[in-house]
Amino acid sequence: MKHKKWLTTVASSVVAVSLLAGCGSNNNNSNNASPSASPSASASASAGGKQFENTELNVAVFQGGYGREYWDTIAEDFMKDYPGTKINITASPKIAELVRPKIVAGNPPDFMYIAGSDNLPIIDGLIKDKALTDLSDVFNSPSEEGGAPLKDRILPGVLESRSSSPYGDGKVFLAPYNYGVMGLWYNKTLFDTKGISVPKTWDEFLALTATAKDNGRELFTYQGLYPGYLEEMVVPSIYSVGGQEALDQYFNFDPEFWKSDTFKQVWGVLEKVATEDNALMKGTIALNHTQAQTAFMQGKAMFIPNGTWFEDEMKDAPREEGFQFGFLGAPAFTADKPAMAMTNVEQMVIPAKAKNPELAKEFLKYLYSDKSVKLNAEKSKAVLAVKGAPDIAKEFISESTYNVYKAVDEGIVTVNGAFKSVAKGSKYNPSDEIYKPISSIMNKQLTVAEYGDKLFKIYTNIQKELKENGAE
Amino acid sequence: MKMTMKTRRGFFIAACLIPGLILFFLFKVYPTIQIFHKSLYLWTGVGDKPKFIGLQNFVDMFHDDTFLLALRNTGFLMLVVPVLTLLIALINASLLTQTKLKEKGFYRTVFFFPSILSFVVVAILWSFIYHPTMGFVNAGLEMIGLGDWAMSWLGDQRTVLWALAVTLIWQAAGYYMVMYMAGIDSISPDLYEASGLDGATRVQQFFHITIPMLWEIIRVTIIFSINGVMTISFVIVSIMTAGGPDRHSEVVMTYLYSQAFTNSNFGYAMAIGVFIFIVSVSLALISNKLTERGSN
Repeated sequence: MKHKKWLTTVASSVVAVSLLAGCGSNNNNSNNASPSASPSASASASAGGKQFENTELNVAVFQGGYGREYWDTIAEDFMKDYPGTKINITASPKIAELVRPKIVAGNPPDFMYIAGSDNLPIIDGLIKDKALTDLSDVFNSPSEEGGAPLKDRILPGVLESRSSSPYGDGKVFLAPYNYGVMGLWYNKTLFDTKGISVPKTWDEFLALTATAKDNGRELFTYQGLYPGYLEEMVVPSIYSVGGQEALDQYFNFDPEFWKSDTFKQVWGVLEKVATEDNALMKGTIALNHTQAQTAFMQGKAMFIPNGTWFEDEMKDAPREEGFQFGFLGAPAFTADKPAMAMTNVEQMVIPAKAKNPELAKEFLKYLYSDKSVKLNAEKSKAVLAVKGAPDIAKEFISESTYNVYKAVDEGIVTVNGAFKSVAKGSKYNPSDEIYKPISSIMNKQLTVAEYGDKLFKIYTNIQKELKENGAE
Repeated sequence: MKMTMKTRRGFFIAACLIPGLILFFLFKVYPTIQIFHKSLYLWTGVGDKPKFIGLQNFVDMFHDDTFLLALRNTGFLMLVVPVLTLLIALINASLLTQTKLKEKGFYRTVFFFPSILSFVVVAILWSFIYHPTMGFVNAGLEMIGLGDWAMSWLGDQRTVLWALAVTLIWQAAGYYMVMYMAGIDSISPDLYEASGLDGATRVQQFFHITIPMLWEIIRVTIIFSINGVMTISFVIVSIMTAGGPDRHSEVVMTYLYSQAFTNSNFGYAMAIGVFIFIVSVSLALISNKLTERGSN
């Protein structure tokens, strides 16, 4: 009898323990790209005379619209070129959820490509914690093909911008991957058949309200629930009026920005959209991104802000007859200035606590090789932030998307930027603080002057927090 | 040496309880303690060096305008939604049980239906009902000639909370109705019969028989409903309005989430969590106390 009882106890605790073990075990859906290689610690890989003591590389990538095929293929190629190395790829649409526990436990992947709005905050956290590896030496060293340093191959302005160099000290902590172009879109067929010319300035843009009415639509709509999309008009416009100086004020939290003429001009356009007859599509503020974009494609509005992913994102959406995507970027304020567009560069990082930063850097460099740029275009249908990449990708991407990239090549000036990190523990999220109240401006429940005062206070507080934080 | 029957029984019970208890402590008690613990730290939720800052997070909370706005919105929903939900549920339940409707079973199913839909489905459904141009509400208003009243219900700060409240009530009323119906069915029909003979009207019966006999069930449902608003509002708000326009439908749960996961402010988010915990528990205690049947 006694014996049996003991067994029950053991059995029940075994059940409990195995349950616990199930929870504790690594959430590792990694796909070993190489089925055979099981590297021993002593074997060292060599390629081009380089030796790596640690030959295993753990890579975590975002699996979004681009899929994971590129990563699987490039990893295999890398392992072929660097015999003895082994790359484990973990891919997921919710990659941040998978890597977060590992980072917290001090055991991050060696290399991460993080994108998607659900995942990006983890990058922000790593920046705030100063937990990324300095990648400057990778970009200063010669590229895979040899010759000039790698940084000369990267799209101009990208490495210097905050999305690569978050602390503004010229050191690169985030390597650029694919880039997208964002701005205003219109129905090309409508403009061509009705002989409407694409607006070059915001005045011309606003003057189209009457034309819009004649064509049974309103002038403008945007992704109402997510006013952050308006940055695609706001940021290029700030640059267009006030140049880099104004943009720096804006992104670096200089409170004076909200008293400047630049602010008044740029937000003046938004206020006119809110108040002028037939300008803002009815109900816009309550629509989510899909609803607003569908309304635009059905011909309810003439313009909408969005990025190069637009066509792919809405490929199954209903549209008015003959609809064709046309891109104009953001109009300027005076006719002598060029149209502008905003670019958005996806990021790859090596965490500071990575076990194998040396091999990770080598892998990163490998991604910028010509072979890789082409492979990326073929498998992901995307364009790496490397000079000439649009032409390499031409045969794989849609014509209208290619045209957008080409327009950037041929004259549309691009801007790119991101907010400086706020102090650790700050309650402010700059993008939310700036764009969310625009809903109230559009509702005519907040004037631009009141809005400017509010933001002035917020920027002052953010500065104060940064100062206190620095003093510690 | 033989164990007594009693010790053996004790061992057996312990053996059965231990796994459950371990799981309970590990997945319920331990995380709760962690929330209280982490609420005292400045922590991004990414790095591994939380910094102890005492009660600073709680102090900050009451200087944070967005949090206070979210709290006010949540308070509004917690006040309006349970009252209306339970009232509607009670009236429906009593109508369906007391009258001799032939379609009783049909109504019971129809009213209960929203409760078995997932919250996400409910939210998407209602965001199309409120759709400013092709939505059922505005189209309906136009059809009966009240086109001027049509507006974007979710896009205006004056109507957005009421619009969300209607969704929350629609979602929950059927569920509580079924609970009340079960309760009413267990009330002895003699009471109604006897009072009917004495000349009591339906309304009098409702107030003097149905409600007092259901009182214990009503007490429980009040607490369920208040806590339900807290959790369900997160899904409904995230999908239908994303807290907009301009944060006028932000609720504490969505604010907590955005502080933790988009602003990397885990410590602060945990402090909000602790605050919600305390508010929920005290509301439950208060409503329990207030609805206690005293000596009368």
